[in-house]
Amino acid sequence: MDQNLKEFYFFSDFLNRRVYNTSRQRVGKISDLVAERAEPYPMIIGMMVRTKGREMYLPWEKIIQIEPQLTLSAKELMDLKTSLPEKDIILLKEEVMDKQIVDTFGAKVVRVNDLHFLRVDYRLRLVHVDAGFRGLMRRVGWEKLVDQALRWFFSYVLPNQFISWKYVQLLSGSDLLQLSVSQKKLSHLHPADLADIIEDLSGRERSAIFHALDAETAAEALEEIDPKIQKALIETISVEKASDIVEEMSPSDAADLLADLPEERAEEILEGMEQEKAEDLRELLVHPDETAGGLMTTAYLSLTPGVTVETAIARLKAEAPNLDIMDYIFIVDEEEILQGVVSIRDLLTAHSQQTLAEIQPTRVVSVKLDEDQNEVVEAFAKYGFRALPVVDEEGQLKGVIGFRSVLDVLAPDAG
Amino acid sequence: MTNYIKWVSSSKRSLWRTIGLFFILMGPGIITSNVDNDAGGITTYSLAGAEFGLKLIWSLIPIMIALIVVQEMGARMGVVTGKGLSDLIREKFGAKITFYLMIGVFLTNMGNVLSEFAGVAAGMEVFGVNKFISVPVSAFLVWWMVVKGTYKSVEKAFLVACVFYISYVITGIIVKPDWGYVLEQFVHPQLSFQPSETTMLIGVVGTTIAPWMQFYLQASIVEKGIKIEDYKFARFDVVMGAVMVHIVAFFIILVCAETLFKHGVRIETAKDAALSLAPLAGKYCTYLFAFGLVNASLFAASILPLSTAYLICEGLGWEAGIDKKFAEAPQFYGFYSLIIFLGAGIILYPNLPLIPIMYFSQVLNGMVLPFILIFMLFLINDKKLMMNHTNGPVFNVIAWVTSIVMIALTLLLIIRML
Repeated sequence: MDQNLKEFYFFSDFLNRRVYNTSRQRVGKISDLVAERAEPYPMIIGMMVRTKGREMYLPWEKIIQIEPQLTLSAKELMDLKTSLPEKDIILLKEEVMDKQIVDTFGAKVVRVNDLHFLRVDYRLRLVHVDAGFRGLMRRVGWEKLVDQALRWFFSYVLPNQFISWKYVQLLSGSDLLQLSVSQKKLSHLHPADLADIIEDLSGRERSAIFHALDAETAAEALEEIDPKIQKALIETISVEKASDIVEEMSPSDAADLLADLPEERAEEILEGMEQEKAEDLRELLVHPDETAGGLMTTAYLSLTPGVTVETAIARLKAEAPNLDIMDYIFIVDEEEILQGVVSIRDLLTAHSQQTLAEIQPTRVVSVKLDEDQNEVVEAFAKYGFRALPVVDEEGQLKGVIGFRSVLDVLAPDAG
Repeated sequence: MTNYIKWVSSSKRSLWRTIGLFFILMGPGIITSNVDNDAGGITTYSLAGAEFGLKLIWSLIPIMIALIVVQEMGARMGVVTGKGLSDLIREKFGAKITFYLMIGVFLTNMGNVLSEFAGVAAGMEVFGVNKFISVPVSAFLVWWMVVKGTYKSVEKAFLVACVFYISYVITGIIVKPDWGYVLEQFVHPQLSFQPSETTMLIGVVGTTIAPWMQFYLQASIVEKGIKIEDYKFARFDVVMGAVMVHIVAFFIILVCAETLFKHGVRIETAKDAALSLAPLAGKYCTYLFAFGLVNASLFAASILPLSTAYLICEGLGWEAGIDKKFAEAPQFYGFYSLIIFLGAGIILYPNLPLIPIMYFSQVLNGMVLPFILIFMLFLINDKKLMMNHTNGPVFNVIAWVTSIVMIALTLLLIIRML
């Protein structure tokens, strides 16, 4: 079947293009293209044609030729139906054109100006999204004019800004239901990038993309998101899901988030969590935001002085996935009184049979629970530690402040 | 702030809770409406008062209702969709329409910014400050406040600026009007269809309902992140704003009617109005009037360039936001700077024909507004977009009638001016 296709097309070549019958009479115009929802490059399976005031579905096979005129036999024209095929499809104008998408390669949100199709075995496949100025000008109908003007005046060739379809994550319409399939595209992103993307989006798209993430990814992204948006996002999901996500977050970030929520909601979320984690968070929640207690986390490793280096390393390995503080092991006695701090360097340079008490430095620096956050920052700057233990009046170890929390105090708007 | 919100939302006494929530959520509507009383607005109201006395004052009530109807739709769209107006227009009407609309909005807003800096220059000249000092300083101030401040602090500064509009109310009371007569003008409006009067009426309408406001209001509602449950507060905010702006407009007309109109003084600009007040009502009135003009112009000049840069980038798909670096959002900063520099720069050009420029900007406003109103009506009735928050049948009739009257009036304005 040869429909006389060109090598490549843009969506703007098709939109509003006239459709003719075999006796060269105008019978309608194209209002949308229909693609099969398939990875990595969806095939165009038909188009929507507006004829006599109605939108009809025209399957690709029924088109006699595309160039120079899109032609259709009169008999086929009579048989057109309004119903779409049962298959899993994307309406390209409705769901993709002019919408915001996530470019998972460049890790940013862009707006679709045009779509780029390539001919593969007599059919067209959607291969690129055009997000550039050239695409915008093509839509407006100024492509040639602007291109030639730029060449003439500046010898500048206006480039196409293509994003391969395999890196495109749609945000609107039916694709949201499909996210479990295409979600893989999102999981390529670094949580911090994902967080920026969620912040850049608005309204339904923002919550939709957040809903589609699994609890672990959602937790990682949430830690990086602006507190105001964090709060709004948590309020859009069910309590059960919120509990799962908060459980995966680092305790200090989780406590900050819960502190911002209405008390009843925070309590519901805590109740849905693992007992132990919830208890830790409740303890953290008691302390005001601007004090050492408000900055600290409870996900650290503490051991007694008699433990050998070998055992300590083994414990650190085993606990590592759940720890916020990886650089130090904290030594406490039976009453949880802080005795000393051992760094990973100390552990690695010691003999495996030495006890922690033997290798620990003689001095230990700690801050009090109610110490002001600015004092904490100063202590970090002065001693150059990557984490600082927090103790109460009796010297009991209550938590540890990681370097990242200090960054949040110093540069709250960065990142 | 967060503690305060928590305290309010956990407060048992519902009255305090309501009042507290309103104060947290207020801002967008009140700010938008007050920016509306900018240099162009003050000039138009002054002229209306000086030329026709209190004859046109009744029109403030229908205009206020129209403003509320239009603004409410924008606020509702912002709350329900969480998106800006140019974003919604782009997604529904496509790239071509959006592109041309953005050109139109850029030009009208450019004209408005120009008139704001002209307002600063004129107002400061009353205090004896040369425009070669006042305009560059204010342009820098505007740029600095937005680039170096956060939205929160900028918004607070603007809410404080709203308070200064009271200078017009004080001026109005100083001139001791005959309140009985004023009231009668409202109760028994005199309608006449003299061409000069209708032109003025259209001017008042045109300056009160402007295209940029719809974009700005919706964007700041989105920025505030107001939830659907709290929408009633946002609506109240919008209504309050519309009422406030018309109270100020009323006092400006009143002052000019009681002084300039009674003594038959002819004026052409707001600066003329301020200066002519001195011999009739004392020099404090002049200062208050000029101070109000400077405040209003500066206020609007801070908002318009930023809002324009945002909406253009949003519509055309470029990165935008003051938290981005220049290299990340070159178009955004480019437009922002261009608008401020052009706006302030053109005013410094010697012997500038200001009045034709203002007229031209009004005509552009009038040409763009009908499109925006129609787009808004289509968008707000889109079930997929607004779900069950589309216009009801009664509201729809009111909204369409308002829009059609607005469109008819602005078309009339264009025809008159051309």
